[in-house]
Formats: sequence, structure tokens, C-alpha cells
Amino acid sequence: MSSLFERSAETLDRSRSGDAFGPTPGAEPEPEPTALAAIALDDDDARRWLAGAQRPDGSFGLTAGPVENDAPTGLAALALPPGDERERALDHLVATPARTLPSDPVVPHDPNVPGWGWALGTAGWVEPTARALLTFRRLRPGATTQIDGAVGFLADRECVGGGWNFGNRSVYYVDLPPFGQTTAAGLIGLHGLVSGYGLVLRGVDALRRLWPLERGPLTLAMSLAAFRLLDLADAEDLEHALEPTLDAPPMDVISLAWIALSSGPGLLELAVTG
Amino acid sequence: MTPMDRRTFLRRAGIVAAGSAAVGLGAGAAIPGLLHRFHRPWDDDAFAPPGRPKVLVARAASYDVDLESIVEVGLAEVGGSLAGRSVLLKPNLVEYDPGTVINTDPRLVAATVLAVRRLGASAVLVAEGPGHRRDTPFVVSASGLGERLAEVGARFVDLNLAPVTRVPLHSRFTDLGELWLPAPVVEADVVISMPKMKTHHWAGATLSMKNCFGCMPGRIYGWPKNVLHWAGLQEAIIDVASAVRPELQIVDGIVGMEGNGPIDGTPVQAGVLVFGTDPVATDSTAALVMGLDPAGIWHVSEAGRFLGQADPEQIVQVGEDPERSMTSFDVLPVFQDLTLGSNASDAAHPGLGDANA
Repeated sequence: MSSLFERSAETLDRSRSGDAFGPTPGAEPEPEPTALAAIALDDDDARRWLAGAQRPDGSFGLTAGPVENDAPTGLAALALPPGDERERALDHLVATPARTLPSDPVVPHDPNVPGWGWALGTAGWVEPTARALLTFRRLRPGATTQIDGAVGFLADRECVGGGWNFGNRSVYYVDLPPFGQTTAAGLIGLHGLVSGYGLVLRGVDALRRLWPLERGPLTLAMSLAAFRLLDLADAEDLEHALEPTLDAPPMDVISLAWIALSSGPGLLELAVTG
Repeated sequence: MTPMDRRTFLRRAGIVAAGSAAVGLGAGAAIPGLLHRFHRPWDDDAFAPPGRPKVLVARAASYDVDLESIVEVGLAEVGGSLAGRSVLLKPNLVEYDPGTVINTDPRLVAATVLAVRRLGASAVLVAEGPGHRRDTPFVVSASGLGERLAEVGARFVDLNLAPVTRVPLHSRFTDLGELWLPAPVVEADVVISMPKMKTHHWAGATLSMKNCFGCMPGRIYGWPKNVLHWAGLQEAIIDVASAVRPELQIVDGIVGMEGNGPIDGTPVQAGVLVFGTDPVATDSTAALVMGLDPAGIWHVSEAGRFLGQADPEQIVQVGEDPERSMTSFDVLPVFQDLTLGSNASDAAHPGLGDANA
């Protein structure tokens, strides 16, 4: 095991709040950091907390009045053991694609591929869609409609030249650039998928260009996960780039969990072959 | 307030209708005809009637002048009271793209930290929840803000990750009913909204009210904060601003952005800072400085009914004359009729609040 994994896992473990994890060290537990940490640390306490946090509709996330953010649902499904909770989470994903609007010349998009959103009843975006794609591919590979739809969404939202930003290829006739973190998210969802081969090739090119310029901990950690899942040698450079981030002031738990996940054995829980 | 003429009224109604069609009805949307006058989606007892607030437009030719003194004097002149109070500075740091002027300049933020301390603030922190990128440490570092804050010993808080507190809404332009705001925003004695002076391709302009979107945590509202767009962008601007209620505002118009703002516009040297204690009055004044008709910016105009003073004639200017400080900002063709002196017709407006940032 790498020293990066050992150091990040130890720091992550120290940042827990009781059995689970909040977005910052010691903060009130929430589903996203807890799911990521449960996978990264293979932590049964975190899994138990997660199971208890499932909402009646099968989703996981934060509720804020009428706003139901359900974006962690896919990650929670990946973290949970086989069983009813996991299946209900998958059922929720199947039942809740994003809302769409008719395509508009100033924000062109294909309304036939809604993707998944951050919150129920809103539009689809790259990161939650890539999560849903990965979740279906690993846990419900027979959900081909959803898988094809997610790939279609990522193809529709791909930036010119490859990679992804949050999810708009162009606005008002201006092509928007890709970001490192969201490009890594797209590649994590697509790795090893034959139908996504072109997207992956262009995304890898984009990420190789972006990560040296975008050296934030979350970007580097998710890039490492993408390159390791794609079995590319770039991963070694990324591990070196990530080492000093652990010496910086207290890091948020989501970034920390991604470092432990991407550098350790937990990454196998995200791997899909064929 | 100057009576609203028929053209202005129709224009506002048209904007709301377009926004409603695109994103679903917000509670304040699409009120036709005279009903608009009686539609008052706010709690009267939660808002003092708009008065005659002071606004100060100050010249600042570049970011290399003595910004600390300009900010100190500007805040004092408009009546900012900071002695013994904790202050949260909320700059615009929506994302980072090298070579652009998307964000509030870090030199201004650092100068404001020092000025606020000189004015006796008990504590000051800088906080933002970037709207397009999750990797906030990257945005803070790459934008240069991190280095500037280190120089002045100020702490940065990522509002996308901070603990949240439920805040009931006293305005109901959207159907949200309540917002979940980061605790540092709720707990600060004074929030200072520090937007970049920019045009906005859905809202006309983005100033101190729109800047409050960055207070909304992404882990609830998304990246971008798409919940707010589906609720109706301009309606959400009002509800969020009415919940955050920034007590002071400093608009960075030293170099602003014109054209296809808020991300892909063109830098424009306006050479001004705008200070105020009323976000509606500050935004109304900043719009004038940009050569835009504040009455045509729907969220400014509507907020002027209850949240603050939008009527330029009721705003007490204690600095430079806004109209003499004007730099005419280019706008997209759909907003051409906002340009002061424009004879453009009431062209169709974009579908406000669509699914994008």
C-alpha cells in the first residue's frame, strides 16, 4: 500500500463524527462524505450509519425544505452491501432522471438524454450523471436504458476538444472549457466502456492537460482515480502531486476521502470491466 | 417613485412570463395587469419601507491605488458601522478561468480586510461557495485570493461545505419557502456583499443582490446552483438577497465585465467602486454607472418595492455623480433596451432562469 493511502486513510479516520463523516472534520455526518469514506476505509460503522440515513424513497442526500438533494444516492449504493437498501437506492435512480427543457439555441442540449441532477426536479449535470452511470454499470448492468442514456448525456455535454465542465458545452455561442475535476468524474463513470471509447480518449487528453494546472486536492484525487481505473501510467505523477496536499491545512473530508479511495484498495469497488 | 410607464410595465411582465414558461412558476411570477400592484409576495413587517439610503461612487483608476483608504472612507461615508462587530466578506469567486475578470479582484478583497479592521471590526473572514467548481481550494489558490488573504492574515471559509441553518423566507417570489444558509453567513454581525460589476446574460446585470447566490451551499443546491434557476432566476435573486440581507455592499467596478457576462464577457475599465448600505440602492446606482436603466432590471425593480430603494431620485449620492461616472457597458442584443438612451424596441428576453448558471 502506498504511503499516500496510509496517510490519507489515517487522517480521514481521525475526521469522523461518531460512526460517520461530515463534509469537514468533525462536522455533522452527511451521506456523501460517509459513502466515500465507507468505500475508502472499508468501514462497516459508516455503512451502518448510511443505511440508517436512507430516505423512504430509497434516496440519500440532504433535504432543505422543498429541496431534496439526492446526488449522493449512487455513491451510497456503491458503498452499501448487497441487499434491500442498495436495491431501493438503485430503484430511486431509475425512477428519477433529471427534468429537461426544450433545447435552446443559446444553450444547446439534447432533451432526449436528461441525465441526473443534483436535486430532484432539476436539470442534469455531469458529475451526478457520471455517478449514476458508474453505479448502474457496477450494480445493475442490465439497466441498459439508463446506461445508454447516461453515456448519451455525457456525449451531448462534452466540451469541444474533449472533457467536461459542470455540464454546459456552450452558452450564447461561446464554447466553454472543460474542468479537471468534472472531466475526471466523467472518466470514472465511463472507464472501460466500449461505447464511451471516443469520449474517454478525448477526456484523457483533456485531463492530462488540465490536472497540472488545477492542483486542488479534489481535482488531483479524482484524476488519480480516473487514471488508475484506466490503468494509465499518469497515476504515478498524480500520487506525487497529491502528497504535499496532505501537509496543507485541514482538508475537507470529501477531498480527503477521494485521496484515500483513489490511492488505496477501495478503488476496486468503483472498477468495472467489460 | 416615478410612476411606471406602460412600456416598462409590459417589459417587466414579459420577462416574468418568459421566466415562468422556461422553468415553472415561482410564486411571484406571471402576475398580469393591475394584479401586479396588489401582488405583494413578502411580509410587510419583516422589511422597513425603503428610505433614502446613501450610496457612494468612488473613483479608483486601478487596483494599485490605495484601496484600503478608499474602502475605509467609502464604508464610513455611507454609514457603515463595524466597530466591535464580526464581518463576513462575500466576494464573487464563482469559478476560475485564467485571463478573465470573472471574480472580485483579490487586491480589493485584501484591502477591504484591512479597512474593515481599521474601522474596528472584531473579526473578519472571507467566504464564498463557488458556483461552478467543487474544488474550492483550487479556485482560491489559482485566482490569487489565497495568497492575498495570507498576506493580510485573513481566513477563507468554503460556504459550499460549511454547516447550514434553516432560514424562513419573508419574501415569496419563489416557492422555496425557506433557504438553508451557511452558519458563518447567519452568524456574522455584518455581511458585506462584494460583487464584480458585470452584465449577466439572463438577468441583465449581476451585482450585490445576485452575488448572494454564492452563499447558497452547493452540496444542497448543486454545482451550478440549479435549484435556484428552476425556481426562477430573477425571483430567486430577490428571495436569496432578502434572506442574506447584506448590510454593506462594495461593487468592484475598477475593471468590470461587459457583453456576455457573467463568465464570457469582455473586461471593461470603469474605474469605480460603489459603496452602500442598501443592496437595492447600490445595485440601482451601479446599473446607472454601467449605463443601464435600473428600472429595466426586473429583480432590482421588484426588490425596490420592499427590500430597498431602487429609485435613483430617492438615493442620496455622497460621492461621484453616477451618471458622470458612467461607462456604457455593452450588453447582449436581448438586453439592448436596458441601455440608457437606447431606442431599442421591447425585444424578446431570454428564457430567464433556464437550467444554466
